[in-house]
Amino acid sequence: MAQTVQTAATAARTRLYSGRRRWNAIMIVLAWCAALFGMAWLALILGALLWQGLSGVSLRVFTEMTPPPGADGGLLNPIIGSLIMTGLAVAIGTPIGILAGTYMAEYGRYGRLSSVVRFINDILLSAPSIVVGLFVYEVLVRPMGHFSGIAGAVALAIIVIPVVVRTTEDMLLLVPNTLREAAAALGLPRAYIVRRIAYRAARAGIVTGILLAIARISGETAPLLFTALNNQFWSTNLNAPMASLPAVIFQFALSPYNDWQRLAWTGALLITVAVLALSIIARALSSPDKS
Amino acid sequence: MNVIAPHAQTAVPAAAKEALDTAKLEPKIAIRQLNFYYGAAHALKDISLTLYRNTVTAFIGPSGCGKSTLLRVLNRMYDLYPNQRAEGEVVFDGANILAPKQDLNLLRARIGMVFQKPTPFPMSIFENIAFGVRLYEKLPASELEYRVEHALRRAALWEEVKDKLNVNGQSLSGGQQQRLCIARTVAVKPEVILLDEPCSALDPISTAKIEELIDELKADYTIVIVTHNMQQAARVSDFTAFMYLGQLVESASTQKIFTSPSDRRTQDYITGRFG
Amino acid sequence: MARRAPTDLKGGGISAMTQDAGTPGTGHPHTVAAFDADLKVLGDMVAEMGVRAARALSEATRALTERNIQLAQQVIASDRGLDLMQHEIEERAVTTLARRQPMAVDLREIVSTMRIAGDLERVGDLAKNVAKRVIAIGAQPAPANLAAGLGILSERVGQQLAAVLKAYAERSDAAAMEVWTSDGTIDGLFTSLFRELLTYMMEDPRSIGYCTHLLFCAKNLERAGDHATNIAETAHYVITGEALIAERPKGDTTVGIEPSLRPPQT
Repeated sequence: MAQTVQTAATAARTRLYSGRRRWNAIMIVLAWCAALFGMAWLALILGALLWQGLSGVSLRVFTEMTPPPGADGGLLNPIIGSLIMTGLAVAIGTPIGILAGTYMAEYGRYGRLSSVVRFINDILLSAPSIVVGLFVYEVLVRPMGHFSGIAGAVALAIIVIPVVVRTTEDMLLLVPNTLREAAAALGLPRAYIVRRIAYRAARAGIVTGILLAIARISGETAPLLFTALNNQFWSTNLNAPMASLPAVIFQFALSPYNDWQRLAWTGALLITVAVLALSIIARALSSPDKS
Repeated sequence: MNVIAPHAQTAVPAAAKEALDTAKLEPKIAIRQLNFYYGAAHALKDISLTLYRNTVTAFIGPSGCGKSTLLRVLNRMYDLYPNQRAEGEVVFDGANILAPKQDLNLLRARIGMVFQKPTPFPMSIFENIAFGVRLYEKLPASELEYRVEHALRRAALWEEVKDKLNVNGQSLSGGQQQRLCIARTVAVKPEVILLDEPCSALDPISTAKIEELIDELKADYTIVIVTHNMQQAARVSDFTAFMYLGQLVESASTQKIFTSPSDRRTQDYITGRFG
Repeated sequence: MARRAPTDLKGGGISAMTQDAGTPGTGHPHTVAAFDADLKVLGDMVAEMGVRAARALSEATRALTERNIQLAQQVIASDRGLDLMQHEIEERAVTTLARRQPMAVDLREIVSTMRIAGDLERVGDLAKNVAKRVIAIGAQPAPANLAAGLGILSERVGQQLAAVLKAYAERSDAAAMEVWTSDGTIDGLFTSLFRELLTYMMEDPRSIGYCTHLLFCAKNLERAGDHATNIAETAHYVITGEALIAERPKGDTTVGIEPSLRPPQT
């Protein structure tokens, strides 16, 4: 009698369980397919870039300026222009971003101002970059009367700031409060606690944030179109239109000339490699390394 | 004829009356009519208590009774947060430390605190300790080294870390980290040390080492310890204060509290009869 | 159940609202029920031991007054059981101390069970002693008034024992103090027996051996009464947390009786 009760219960359990196992297998297969699908596209993009762009990579790309159609040339001025504007944007945006993030995480953590700023920051974070470009156009380019590299840098800075604010605040909030209390218990003034303890503890995270911001603006085209325009010739004058890689890619890719298109592919490859390198460094920095 | 030693003639031997005769002790911190509020919540109600020099006082009580809150009033830690305020008097060396004009950093240099979770700074062991010292004194390198070594010796950590002073403080074990925090506090030469459940995150052996440490430290410092482990309070402290729901229910010598407390609630708590 | 009035057993800095901690064993049970079970077992064992010790005492006296050798032998044999019980109580108490880390009233209680077990074991030994002397005296009858006197003394001691054990079980300080102070009547009874026996011995030197045995029996009974007061002191300690250091009123004035007998001449 007990035997049959036992097997009846076990049979019901097995039935239930086999149904669940089947469902589990289906989901695993679906998840794999989705992952492969996404990876496939990434591989295709990278593949296309390498295929098209690698053939154009040569020393000339880094030493000669953009050529007229039909002639040989390189991407020197857009590369330099991008470096200048990106560097300037980071120089402007990072201090502002870090200080704002520090205020929100350390001094004004419980205040109303911080929550308002946080909200607006999140909006700006995902604002369309073309809107940023148009804004800077209205505010800087029109009064100045001409396109300029500085306007481009400012536009990029406006994109950098929300990213840095966000990561700085998040990283500082991750620092356990007990660490701050321990420092306060020693008699450290607030500024010391922030500088010597909180920053030190959040250092890796904040640097990662900056790197990610750089990676983000490396490829921004729309804002530069309205602010720095583009420049066929060599120019490091911030008060004049400045060349940039994304703008050059835009221009050359839409053109009917083969050599220009090839240069466009090469430029795209360069940007991709730069962003990839920055992301890898950022990842390496943020991985937990206790000793 | 029997020669009777003089002290044997008294009814109770002198040793039994002992140094816990509070008339012979020097008050270090006097808490008078202290009330504490978290926003509108009345967390501490009319607390009056005296802490004596070179003794260990333990605050015990069930969760939420306010013992940690009371401890944190003593070094004005609540100042870090808005919406927390204290009323009343806490007299330390003649001055009321709750007064607005009290210099908080100097106060905290004289009243140090060790927390429940060990919190070494993200620096080397040497830097952890030198950090606080440098804040208040400009010492030449050799003297600084001596101070660091002395503090580590006081915290019974020197032998274990003397070869790796440049290693990150966060790579030590839990017990070692806590002793590092104690060394850091001691290095600044405070007068009072506050301990907020210092052993609750540690294993029994580390706990025993820290209890031994407390016993040694009380010769030079006044110590206040919050603990939810009653046996630890019984082992470690000279005076015990039992708190319940924000009130100070009973405060007396540890010997009395744990053998024959006066208040029913104290007895219920320490005998494990709390509902 | 008597409540002790709140006294001023206060240290410094207590808030105004105190609740009397005097009567242990009342109020909440322990959160860990096994602790209460342990304490109950100890209490029951002490009660059982008390009953046996009192019985041994009364039976020994009965053997004496009835010249019942057999009963006396039974009493001697049953003393072993009391010794075993005392050892068991001590072992249990030590185990409970190790396992439960008791504090305050629980600690006092457990320590007290060990003390009381010791006192009760001594009472048993005293009863055994009396029984042995019964065998030594043999079947000779005692003079009526002596027998009566011993009987009353034994009954009084038995009452004290019963009363103090009841006071301990009920945690009644008043009853315990009552026992503690009224030991004087037992001492008074003993003193009068002592005088009587002296008189007999003076009248008839041949009865000295016999009377001496009776004297020792009476002394044993009086000692049992003292153990009852010891138990009363222990009960007071458990209930109030204070040790009773004061001198208890003594009625035993035999120490001051002038020896009308000269020491033996050599």
